[in-house]
Amino acid sequence: MSGETASRTAAPGIDTFDRVALGIVGTAIVTFLLGWTTLFDRTSPDTAVAGLSLFALFGAAFLLAGAGLIAAGIASNVGLFETTADQYTGLGTGVAFGVVGFATGGLVTTILFGVGATGSVLVGLVVALIATLGVAVLPEDIGTTLPVGLLALTWGVLLVAGFVDVGWVWDPPSIKATFHAPIVVPLVTIALSLLVAWSGAIVAEEFGSQGRQNGAYLMIGLNAFGMIAVLLLLILFVVRKGLPKLLEGAQFGPGLNISVPFLTKGVVLGQQYNGIFPAIVGTVWLVIGAVVLAIPMGIGAAVFLTEYAEQGRFTAVIETATNALWSTPSIVYGLFGYAFLVPRFGNRNSLLAGMMVLGFMLLPLVVITSREAIKSVPDEYRDASAALGVNQWQTIRSVVLPAAMPGVVTGVILGVGRIAGETAPILLVTSGQPFPARAPSILGSFRFTAAPPFVQNEALLQASSALPYQLYAVITAGVGQEEAFGWGTALVLLMVVLGFYAIGITSRIYFRKKLNQ
Amino acid sequence: MTTKEPFQQLKDRFGVEASDDRVVTAGAAGALCLVATAILFLLGSQFTAIPLAGFLFTVGYGLWNHQATTAKALTFLATIATGAILALITVYLISEALPAMREMGLSMFTEASAPMWRTRGEEVYSLVPMMWGTLVTTILAMLIAGPLGVAGALFISEIAPDAVREIVKPAVETLAGIPSIVYGFIGFTILNDYMMENLELPTSGSLVIVGLVVGLMSLPTVVSVAEDAIASVPESMKSGSLALGTTDWQTIKSITIPAAFSGVSAAVLLGVGRAVGETMAATVILGHAQRLPDPLYDVFGNTETLTSLIASQYGVASGTHMSALFAAGVVLFVSVTVLSIGSQYIERRMKHQLQGES
Repeated sequence: MSGETASRTAAPGIDTFDRVALGIVGTAIVTFLLGWTTLFDRTSPDTAVAGLSLFALFGAAFLLAGAGLIAAGIASNVGLFETTADQYTGLGTGVAFGVVGFATGGLVTTILFGVGATGSVLVGLVVALIATLGVAVLPEDIGTTLPVGLLALTWGVLLVAGFVDVGWVWDPPSIKATFHAPIVVPLVTIALSLLVAWSGAIVAEEFGSQGRQNGAYLMIGLNAFGMIAVLLLLILFVVRKGLPKLLEGAQFGPGLNISVPFLTKGVVLGQQYNGIFPAIVGTVWLVIGAVVLAIPMGIGAAVFLTEYAEQGRFTAVIETATNALWSTPSIVYGLFGYAFLVPRFGNRNSLLAGMMVLGFMLLPLVVITSREAIKSVPDEYRDASAALGVNQWQTIRSVVLPAAMPGVVTGVILGVGRIAGETAPILLVTSGQPFPARAPSILGSFRFTAAPPFVQNEALLQASSALPYQLYAVITAGVGQEEAFGWGTALVLLMVVLGFYAIGITSRIYFRKKLNQ
Repeated sequence: MTTKEPFQQLKDRFGVEASDDRVVTAGAAGALCLVATAILFLLGSQFTAIPLAGFLFTVGYGLWNHQATTAKALTFLATIATGAILALITVYLISEALPAMREMGLSMFTEASAPMWRTRGEEVYSLVPMMWGTLVTTILAMLIAGPLGVAGALFISEIAPDAVREIVKPAVETLAGIPSIVYGFIGFTILNDYMMENLELPTSGSLVIVGLVVGLMSLPTVVSVAEDAIASVPESMKSGSLALGTTDWQTIKSITIPAAFSGVSAAVLLGVGRAVGETMAATVILGHAQRLPDPLYDVFGNTETLTSLIASQYGVASGTHMSALFAAGVVLFVSVTVLSIGSQYIERRMKHQLQGES
């Protein structure tokens, strides 16, 4: 971003220009964040600073920012400051404004004149067309600032003059929702703040290709920041809601004497602290079963496809099938298990059916990640091994698979994290009593018989609970089951799944570092 | 499975020399046992364990005496099994759905006048409201996941400094790991109440909330796959553009995105597949009304999606009703498979083109 030094020294006032632009961006980011906090009731609309209500403050900020943008655009256009603005704004930006124009035009027509859906869409299209073409042919410094500035000014006037205040309501006749100001004002503020920030960022780099890059990067950066914020907020929210229940009746110490009844007890009538121990055991067994089924099969298939098979129609078909399996919805797996496995395991929901269905879901992921890992083993390894006079299988066993192991392990751990949280298939093939008192005891239920099928395990053929199913059960049980129980379960489930993810991602970073050494 | 010329086929497939008859016999015995196991299991017989034991015994013998051949045969079996699972899913789903399809005919997918879904004696099953619900939630979800996902992919692969990327990439992956039922629980307890309180919705649950949540859930899929596509654009193409004095953003806009365009659209298609198949969030959040919203575009209304229909009704269904749920599953399965194959086709073509150009 140093290409503009020449123009910067040429115009002495350009520092002021940049400072104004950065001020606009800063203001817009503040209103953006405040918009979100208002939307989620963290900032009350009744907040007043220096005699101005929150909405009036928003309005004042937009008045200033809008005026600043327009002033900067005109100043650049008449040559007061030397900038690198292009002759035309261009169609790309024009189309973006077309979309904004469509939303604004359509909404304003319905709100002001009560026009129906078709009418407002038509008006929106007309506005969009005008905005697109109009902006596209304007000089860049005007085209990127003036429309945004005008929108900001309008919104600012509406808020400051009190046309839209806390009591404002829009009740569209054809839609069931009623829109009140505490929802509408933050939403519009958020959208407009983004526009203003984008425009300000362009101004801050004096338009031109650098300006456009600055504007685009700001938006893309905000998007990435938003994703991380969503992740952190989700986790923090669940932790805050679930922690009290998780620690209910928990005792730490003296020494290693830790007891957390929520994790070690089932649901028994009259018990002081109920817990989700059976569900935890159920999930553990489901995961173990799925892994035992899917990993040998998946790695085997990957070895055959990459090492033995000739690349041709057969491998292409299997590859397509694997990818199709990977994107098959979980509920479809559930239906399949319900139609195929349940009748064969004594016509009732069972842990074994759940293990197999989850194993089938895990299988494509294991195949895909193992293939990638095996493919990335350099051919030199294989050649060197073959040169020692070893046959192909020994090469695979002692050279290829160990070299591919890190990739396979990482992929498998991430996949396990995914299936541990799956609910839909368990719902159809494994779920039984929603709040069981005891956990299934798999190891203690093996029976050997003289008649077929020789080995029996009652517990494997029994319905079981699992963490995600337990959470679903809280929701469907409605009245009677406390919500806190659900939050506690959600927290434990999240910890289990994110634990798998943390291990998987850490091991990947570790292996990659080791490889790069 | 045909058993014609099993000897020769086995020999050819595994490169066994003709003289090594013991391997062929063992292989044939193993294959026979496996076929018997499969058939008995399909029939639901309790004698399945006998051939299975025989198969395991043969495998044990093979691994002991002829490890290389056995290992190759086993990996081949695993490959076949992967394909077989897809075939089994297709067969069982369709065969279970046939009774309802036969009874309702084509009207199952076209009947759009009330009543569209009646169980218990009346037996009217039209999937139109559910298909509409799925369509609306998917569109809403992709309005979020599409642009934001592609922007996120650009950030990770082109814009972010290394240190930032090391944080953002795992974070996005972790976002993919949050179980759908947790999203659903938050939607059910928090967002539904919020909507009823602040937007005066008459009922709990609305398509717009499902769309938002599902959009958030398919976002990581779009990001990861699009990032792969963007990263596969050859460095030489980008440096060529940068050498002409363009800014990074100009290169992204005029070189990287057009070159990766088909891969990025494949990513969006996969995201659509995720959104279509998302079950628990929709099941938990929606109010389960099997009718079309009025007017059709009322995203604040309550209807049903294909997935939530199955998850909410399988417990009380039997006979034709259950079969109709399977028909919903068939619609889901077919549309998602078509999306998956379509996106793979696009991806392959893109790889081909890029390799041709570079």
